Amino acid sequence: MKKKALSTLLVTALMAGALSACGSSDNSTGNTSNSEAEGGKQKVVAWAWDPSFNGKALKIAEEIFKQEHPDFELEVVDMAKTDLEQRLNTNLAAGVTEGLPDILLVNDPNIQKYVNSYPGTFAEFTNSSVDFSQFSQYKVDALTVDGKIYGVPFDIGVTGLFYRTDILSEAGFSAEDLENITWDEYIEIGKVVKEKTGKYMSTINPNDEAWTSILLQSAGSWYITTDNKGNFVNNPVMTETLRLYKAISDSGIAKPVTGWSEFVGSFNAGDVATVVSGVWQIASIMDAEDQKGLWAVAPTPRINIEGGVNASNEGGSNWFVFDGSANKELAMDFLGSTIGGSSEFYERFLTEAGGVGSYIPAFSSEAYQQTSEFFSNQAIYADFTEWSTKVPGISLGMYTQEAKDALKNELPNILNGADLEKSLANIQQLFEQQVQ
Amino acid sequence: MRKLGAIGKHAFLLIVSAVSLFPFLWMIIGMTNTSSDIVKGKFSFGSEFFNNVNRLFEQANVGTAFLNSLLIAVIGTLLTLLLCSVAGYGFEIYRTKGKDRLFGVLMLSMMMPFAAIMIPLFRLFSQWGLLNSAVAVILPTMTTAFMIFFFMQNTKSFPRELLQAGRVDGLNEWKLFTHIYMPTMKPTYAAAAIITFMSNWNNFLWPLIALRTAEKKTLPLVVSSLASSYNPDYGIIMVAIVITTLPTILIFFLLQKQFVQGMLGSVK
Amino acid sequence: MRGSLNKSSLIGWQFVLLPSALILLFSFFPMVQSFILSFESGKGNVSEYVGLGNYSRLLSDPMFRQALFNTILYLIVQVPIMLFMGLIIAHLLNSPKLKLRGFYRTAIFLPCVTSLVSYSVLFKSIFAVDGIFNKLLMNLHIINEPIAWLMDPVWARVVIILAITWRWTGYNMIFYLSAMQNIDPSVYEAASIDGASKFRQFFSITIPMVKPIILFTAIISTNGTLQLFDEVVNITNGGPGNATMTISQYIYNLSFVYTPNFGYAATVSYAIVIIVAILAFLQMKIGGEKK
Repeated sequence: MKKKALSTLLVTALMAGALSACGSSDNSTGNTSNSEAEGGKQKVVAWAWDPSFNGKALKIAEEIFKQEHPDFELEVVDMAKTDLEQRLNTNLAAGVTEGLPDILLVNDPNIQKYVNSYPGTFAEFTNSSVDFSQFSQYKVDALTVDGKIYGVPFDIGVTGLFYRTDILSEAGFSAEDLENITWDEYIEIGKVVKEKTGKYMSTINPNDEAWTSILLQSAGSWYITTDNKGNFVNNPVMTETLRLYKAISDSGIAKPVTGWSEFVGSFNAGDVATVVSGVWQIASIMDAEDQKGLWAVAPTPRINIEGGVNASNEGGSNWFVFDGSANKELAMDFLGSTIGGSSEFYERFLTEAGGVGSYIPAFSSEAYQQTSEFFSNQAIYADFTEWSTKVPGISLGMYTQEAKDALKNELPNILNGADLEKSLANIQQLFEQQVQ
Repeated sequence: MRKLGAIGKHAFLLIVSAVSLFPFLWMIIGMTNTSSDIVKGKFSFGSEFFNNVNRLFEQANVGTAFLNSLLIAVIGTLLTLLLCSVAGYGFEIYRTKGKDRLFGVLMLSMMMPFAAIMIPLFRLFSQWGLLNSAVAVILPTMTTAFMIFFFMQNTKSFPRELLQAGRVDGLNEWKLFTHIYMPTMKPTYAAAAIITFMSNWNNFLWPLIALRTAEKKTLPLVVSSLASSYNPDYGIIMVAIVITTLPTILIFFLLQKQFVQGMLGSVK
Repeated sequence: MRGSLNKSSLIGWQFVLLPSALILLFSFFPMVQSFILSFESGKGNVSEYVGLGNYSRLLSDPMFRQALFNTILYLIVQVPIMLFMGLIIAHLLNSPKLKLRGFYRTAIFLPCVTSLVSYSVLFKSIFAVDGIFNKLLMNLHIINEPIAWLMDPVWARVVIILAITWRWTGYNMIFYLSAMQNIDPSVYEAASIDGASKFRQFFSITIPMVKPIILFTAIISTNGTLQLFDEVVNITNGGPGNATMTISQYIYNLSFVYTPNFGYAATVSYAIVIIVAILAFLQMKIGGEKK
C-alpha cells in the first residue's frame, strides 16, 4: 500500500516541478530565433556581454533606429563573455538553432574562429549598406575572412601610454619626454622613476598576453601568420618583443600582478606611474577620483624595428548577424544604419558609455574633441582616434588563443634566461602540436 | 593535562574557524565599499552599502533570479533526496551481484566531466522542447550516482535488526523504508539535503546552457554576468555574492540540528 | 531460501529501477554520443572521422601530459591532507560537551558556500606581491624579499592546494559528522572507563566506524580533483606557464576557448573517466569491502 503513497509523492513532486516550470515558461519572450512580428512589432534579439558598455551601445542604437522604425524592438540578453562563448558553441555544435539570437557580439580574435568552425552560420556584410571605407582599416582587416566581410565593426581598443604627470615630473620628466618614445627609452625612464620616486613604472602579468599582443601589433605582426601557421621562429618582431618583455621583467620597474583586480588596483591605489592599455581603460582609471587632473596620455611606445609605429590596439569587438535568422534582413538593416554608419550613434556611444568606435566620420564631431578635466584638460579622444588611424592592420587568424597558450607555456623559461631562439623553436613546435 | 587538551582543541578550532570566516568577513566589508577601495584592498567598513544595493537592483533583476534559483534548488533537492535514498537503500539492503554491477556502471557517469556530455544533452532537451524551463535544469541533475553512493555507504551502518523487527510487525518492504529507514537516517538526509541544495543552488554550467531568456536566469548566472564587465564594479558584485550565499547558510543552520541529536537517540 | 532470495532481489530492483533509468538516460546516452565523437577531429562543425587518431594524439600531447601531471600532483598531495583534517575536525566537533561547537561547525562549513568569485579575488590579493601574506612573513623576518607566489610554478601549485583544502575541508566534514551520529556514544563511554585515551579512541573507534564514509569521500574527492576546474581558472588561470593547468581546464579550452575540437575534447574526457574508474576500483579494494 505504502508503495502507492511513495509513488504518488514522487509523481506529485515531478508534476509540481513540471507545472511550475510550464507556468512560467509559457508567454516567455523565448523562441528567439523566429521571434517574428507579434502584432506588428518587429523584434530582434541580441547576445552581448557587459550591459553598461555593449548593452548600452545597443540601447542607443535602438533609440536611433526607432526614430524611423517605430515598430522596432530589441531585446538584449546579457551574459558574461565566457558564458556567451559556451552557449554559442554548445548551440552550434549541437546543431540546434532554437534559442540562438539574431545578433551576436564577437571580439576580434574570435572572428575567424567562428566563421571557419561554423561555416554558413553568419551573414556576410560585404555587399551590404555598410560603407567599410569609413572605418579604420585595421578593424575591417580583422573582419575579413577569405575576402568576405562578416560583420559590423564596433568598438576599438586603440592603445595609449597613460601616465601620472605628478610622479613623472617628480622624477624629472615632462610631457615631451614621453612623446613617441621607444620601449627601450620607456624602460630607461622607468628606472629613473623607480629610483627617484620609489614607484613602479608599470605592472607585469605573466599570465596575461595583453602586453605582448600590443607590441606585436604595433609592428604589424601577430602570433600566427595569415595562413594560420605559428609565427614564432624567424620573426624579428616576435624576437624583439620577447627581448623587451625580459628586459622589463629584469629591470625591476614592473610590479608583478596576477589578475585583473590587482592590475586595476595597482593604478587606482597609485602604485604605478604608467599604464599601457586600450582606450576603454579610461573608465577604470577615472574610478580613482582622488587622482583627478593627475593623468595624461601619450602615444604607445614603439618597437625600434622597421615597421614599428607608436600605435597599437588591445581588444575590441564587432556585431555579427546569424545567416539563418528569420529576422536577418531587419537585423542587418538595424546594424547597418546605426553602428555601421551613424555618426550620431558614435557621438552618443562616447558621451554616454565612454566607448570609442572606428567610424572615421564621427572623429571630427564635437564629442570626440572634448577635453577631459581628469586627464589634465587633454583632448584625449581626439588623440586616441588620431592614433587609431595609424594602427597596423593584421590578420588575427583562427588560433590566437592556442598560440598565446603555447607562448605562455615557455614564458617562465624565457624570463629565467633560456636561449631565446631555442625557446621560440619550442613554442613553435608546441603550437603546431596543438593545432594539428 | 585535561584542561591543556581542551585549550589546544579550542585554539585549533578557533584558528580553523578564523581562516574559514576571513573571506566571508571580507565579502561583508566589501559590500560597504566602492569598487576601487575593494581592489585597493581596504579592510574596513565604508558607507557605500545602500548605494551598492541600489545599483545592483537597478542593473540586474535579482528578485526574479532569486526566485528562479529557489524553485530549482528546492524541487531539485527534494527529488534528489527521494530518488537517491530509495536507490541507495535498494542497492545496499537488497544487495546482489547484478545490482552491484549496475551500480558500478552508474558510478562511471559521475566520472565523466560534464562539459563532455553537455552538447548531446542539450540536443536531447531541444528535441523534447524542454529548453528554457526549470524542468530542463532539474531533470538531468536530480539523480546522481554521487548521492546514491552516499546513501549506500551510510546504509552500511544502518542497524538491520530494525528491519527484521519491522517485518515481524508485518510491515511490507516499502513501508519499512518509509517508516523505519527514513526517520532513522535523519542525519544522513540532513547532510544530503545541505550538500544537494548547495550544489543545485550554485549549479552553473547546465543552467547557463539550458536557460536562455533573461527572466529565467538563476542567481549564479547574474553574478557571472556582473563580474565579467570590462570595468567590474566589485561593490555590487559583493552584494550579489552575499545574497547568493545566504540561502545555503540558512539551510545549513536549519538542518545542522540533525547532527546534534544523533541517529540512535532518535530511535530510542 | 531460494524463493525468498529471489523475492527480495525482485523488491530490490523496484527500489533501484527508476533512479538507475534516469541516470542511464541523462548521463549514459550523452556519454555514448560523446564516445562516438571521440573518433572525430576537426574544428567546430567541420570534422571528420579519424579512427583512433585522437587517442594516439593524446599519448604524445605535451599539454595533456602537463595537465595530467598537475592534476595527479594535486590528488596525491591534497586529498589525504583534506580528508584527514576533515576527520579530525568532525571528531572534535562531535563531542557533545564541546562549547561553541555550533559556531565552529558553521564557520568551517562556510568556505564551500562562499562564492568562488569573491574568494578568488581574495586569494589573489592575499598572495599578491604586496599582499598580506608577504607582509606577514617579512614582519616575522622569515623572508627578506617579497615572493611572487602565483608566478612561481611550485608556489602557485601550493596556493592552489591551499585553496582547494580551504574550500572543501568543511564539505567533507559534513559527511563525517553525519556518519559519526551512527556511533553509539556509549561505545566511547565504555572506552573511557577502560582508560583508552582520546587519541586511541579516534583511531580505534571513530575511524573504523565511519570507514564506509571515508571510502566515499576518498572516491568523490579523487573524482572532484580529477575534474578540478574552478579554483585553477579563477586563481591562476593555469599559470604561470601552464604549471597549474588541470585536465578539466584543458577539456574546457579545447571546447570553448580554442578553435573548438569537440572530438579531441571527448577523447581527453574519456581519459579522465578511465583514470578515475581505475583509482576508484583500487580504493574500493583497499577500502575493504570485506564481506
